[in-house]
Amino acid sequence: MTAHDFLAMYPAKAEEYFIALSFLLLFIPFWRFVNGTRAAEARAEDARLASPAADWFAVPDHLYFHPGHAWARLEDGNLVTVGMDDFSHKLMGRVSAVGLPEVGAHLLQGEKGWSLAQDSKSVDMLSPVDGTVVAVNERAMSSPATLSSDPYGEGWLLQVRVPRLKANSASLLTGNFARRWMEEVCQELGGRISPDLGLLSQDGGLPVEGMARSIDPSNWDQVAGKFLLT
Amino acid sequence: MTTTAERRPVVPSWPREKLLMGLSLREYLRSLATPFNAVAGLILLIGLPVIAYRFIFGLGAVTNLSQANPWGIWIGFDVLAGVALAAGGYVLAGTVYLFGLKEYRPVVRPAILTGFLGYFFVVVGLLVDLGQPWRLPYPIVFSYGVTSVMFEVAWCVLLYFTVLSLEFSPTVFEWLGWEKARRWASRITIGLVVSGVVLSILHQSSLGALFLMAPTKIHPLWYSPFIPLYFFVSSIIAGLSMVIVETGLSHRIFQDQLRGQAHADIGAITLGLGKAASVVLFSYFFMKLLGIADGGNWKLLNTPYGYWFLVELLGFILLPCFLFAHGARERSVKLVRAAAAMTVVGVVVNRLNISVIAFNWAGPERYVPSWMELTVTLTIVTLGLLTFRWIVNRMPVLREHPARRGAH
Amino acid sequence: MKVNRRAFLKMVGATSSAALMGGPAKARAGRRAPRSGETLAMLIDTTRCIGCRSCEMACNKANGLPTPERLGQPSVFDARRATRPDAFTVVNRYADPKNGRKPAFVKSQCMHCVEPACASACPVAALEKTPEGPVVYNAERCMGCRYCMVACPFGIPKYEYEKAVPYVRKCSFCFGRVRQGQLPACASACPMKAITVGKRGELLEIAKTRIYQTPGRYVRHIYGEHEAGGTGVMYLSAVPFAQLGFPADLGTESHAQLTSASLAAVPFILTLGPPFLLAIHAFAKDRAEAAQQGSKERGGAS
Repeated sequence: MTAHDFLAMYPAKAEEYFIALSFLLLFIPFWRFVNGTRAAEARAEDARLASPAADWFAVPDHLYFHPGHAWARLEDGNLVTVGMDDFSHKLMGRVSAVGLPEVGAHLLQGEKGWSLAQDSKSVDMLSPVDGTVVAVNERAMSSPATLSSDPYGEGWLLQVRVPRLKANSASLLTGNFARRWMEEVCQELGGRISPDLGLLSQDGGLPVEGMARSIDPSNWDQVAGKFLLT
Repeated sequence: MTTTAERRPVVPSWPREKLLMGLSLREYLRSLATPFNAVAGLILLIGLPVIAYRFIFGLGAVTNLSQANPWGIWIGFDVLAGVALAAGGYVLAGTVYLFGLKEYRPVVRPAILTGFLGYFFVVVGLLVDLGQPWRLPYPIVFSYGVTSVMFEVAWCVLLYFTVLSLEFSPTVFEWLGWEKARRWASRITIGLVVSGVVLSILHQSSLGALFLMAPTKIHPLWYSPFIPLYFFVSSIIAGLSMVIVETGLSHRIFQDQLRGQAHADIGAITLGLGKAASVVLFSYFFMKLLGIADGGNWKLLNTPYGYWFLVELLGFILLPCFLFAHGARERSVKLVRAAAAMTVVGVVVNRLNISVIAFNWAGPERYVPSWMELTVTLTIVTLGLLTFRWIVNRMPVLREHPARRGAH
Repeated sequence: MKVNRRAFLKMVGATSSAALMGGPAKARAGRRAPRSGETLAMLIDTTRCIGCRSCEMACNKANGLPTPERLGQPSVFDARRATRPDAFTVVNRYADPKNGRKPAFVKSQCMHCVEPACASACPVAALEKTPEGPVVYNAERCMGCRYCMVACPFGIPKYEYEKAVPYVRKCSFCFGRVRQGQLPACASACPMKAITVGKRGELLEIAKTRIYQTPGRYVRHIYGEHEAGGTGVMYLSAVPFAQLGFPADLGTESHAQLTSASLAAVPFILTLGPPFLLAIHAFAKDRAEAAQQGSKERGGAS
């Protein structure tokens, strides 16, 4: 503790003030470094602006959404129409084949419902409800590319008889909850998209080959699987 | 393509639903057969008997403690590093509830749980280390050594543990479904958070102040009148880093809990915490330089202990500072997590340096922990991890309780 | 009887302060520390010590400890010995560089410091500086944290690691005997009058007198006069103290003072902390509400 001796204190104090001043001076460039330069900030801002917003993807009010991006619409009796939402269409882009279950097959909520294929790879989607398949959209099987234009209407996939509708719908999102969920999904998506990828095509729409392909061309099925929870 | 699982009708009961996560006893026991559990089981199989042996035959039979080295890794690691790494509780609670940064809310509960369990197992470690552990309550209820920093630490830790328990109680009440209790506990949150921060400032710095009493025994590069300040600032760093590490691990291990739940942007949270950590580390680095200047110890850097000090200063303080900064800047969650892991190790190294490595550095007999001390430490850590997992699997820590979803 | 407000407050004030003054029976905080000149102390003149170890024998006998090892055997001095849980005082032999034929013998035990680090460090006040002077150990309070061992610059407190119910062991200045007017066992037993017991101030006078009267015999220093704030056991020597195993780097400030700043800060943090933090909270809440207000006005997303 010699520096606390009176005479030895002078050089020690000089060193300390030098260090403290250096800190203050160096802190400014350090802070700027941590926050990123203007260019990096601008890139980040662009990413935020360019990332899909919740209102890019239709989330109709009257539908019930499963976090795996399947939707369910209540019909009469215990019937429920099931399909895949706008987001999942745009995620997948052009789908070459849809593998739907047969009539009479049993579905379980949160388990695999059907599969989507593109070239050699395929991704599963989860069923939003428990029940038995009573009808299948033949057009979905024959010409899947037409589905994306009307995902909630003509693009329906299955009709399912759901015995425990109330219990199932407790786990589904609707209305405001569904919209908040979609916002969060968009944030997640926005985190993965860099504006350099040129996600936006000329007319401000989305590329035909799907967002998953844009994010990771060789492993798009894994990217899609992350969002579809499969 | 289709699945046809048959579900047997299940009779719901409270223990089955709350404790066995809805599984039957047989199903639950079968689900326990995992590699991690096998290793944990082995550790407990050896460690618990060693702990029993320590209590039956005394400290001398189990530890390498000596008259010159009265404190070993049970104090250096279990208590000192444990308290520092549990600091995420007060740091995150302060961030969310006092600074109002709501975007960090998803990690507040895990941070408080880490704090709660951290302090709990610090006390366990203390019970193993004390010569007469049944007298642990003495500074609280029997005899007050008011001149002692350790007395103040004892009181602060007791009060802070109470605060942590109350801060964690809403989670428990949600799990139990006791809505009235949960509402009451949530109402006092701000008061708890303020108390928690104040108490943490006090005891984190006081744990450092303990070592002010040993100027002749601790190497001059580590001994400084500013040790309390160092311990406090490094506790913030430790807390932030531990939350980053724990969040990263939880989101991989418990990801099935997050399926189907509205899940927040953990990446942005990690980057934000990393940025904070880099700034605090930057200040801490300069504080350490000030300490060297104040002590007039520059020449000592050119000695073996000096080199080790430089390893701590440059490798575990300056380097993570820049890794955090770079990671935050380039938005690389991976880099921030790596920096956090490095920092956690660095805090442990620092605590061990002051209490064991640089302590009695010039003495003839140096302390090296015995295998039994290491086993006991490992056992306590394992118990902590198992408890953490048990709670996270059952209570709404990582996920929101279904009844409260969207109710923010 | 009409009691007006001022009189009532005066009464309350007087009674409460009187009550506080009464305090607990062992009002350590309220007692005034006696001036160090008046406390009981010990002067050990190492030039008079012949290494007979009668002090060790007497100490062990008085404290119920086992007989000292290798009594009567000079080989016991070949290795440096420290005090032990079962040996509160030991005598060690050191070579005198100026006089090869006559070694120096030094008796070590607790220094009974004026401001003991151990007593300051103990969270349960198991180690206590008595007003009479000696630093005593109250075994019924000790929980075995061993902080006293960390704090003591002389490394005196020893721990019974091998026992299932361990205690700290050290010299107690024969406090029981002393309170009955007797001398500590070691002082009574010494055949060479190397150990003198008396008031600290008087012992310092005696020591200084010896140095002045026989200047060639002693180093001009009384170890313990100022070291670590002053000790109750002080030494005279012909050999420089650093060569006799005495810690040379203790400074003149007691170690107990080293934590006084930290402890003093505690009540201030307790009083300043909460208002400061609540102010931050209020400020942050205010800003959040203003931001929300702003976004609502701009017709933010529903």
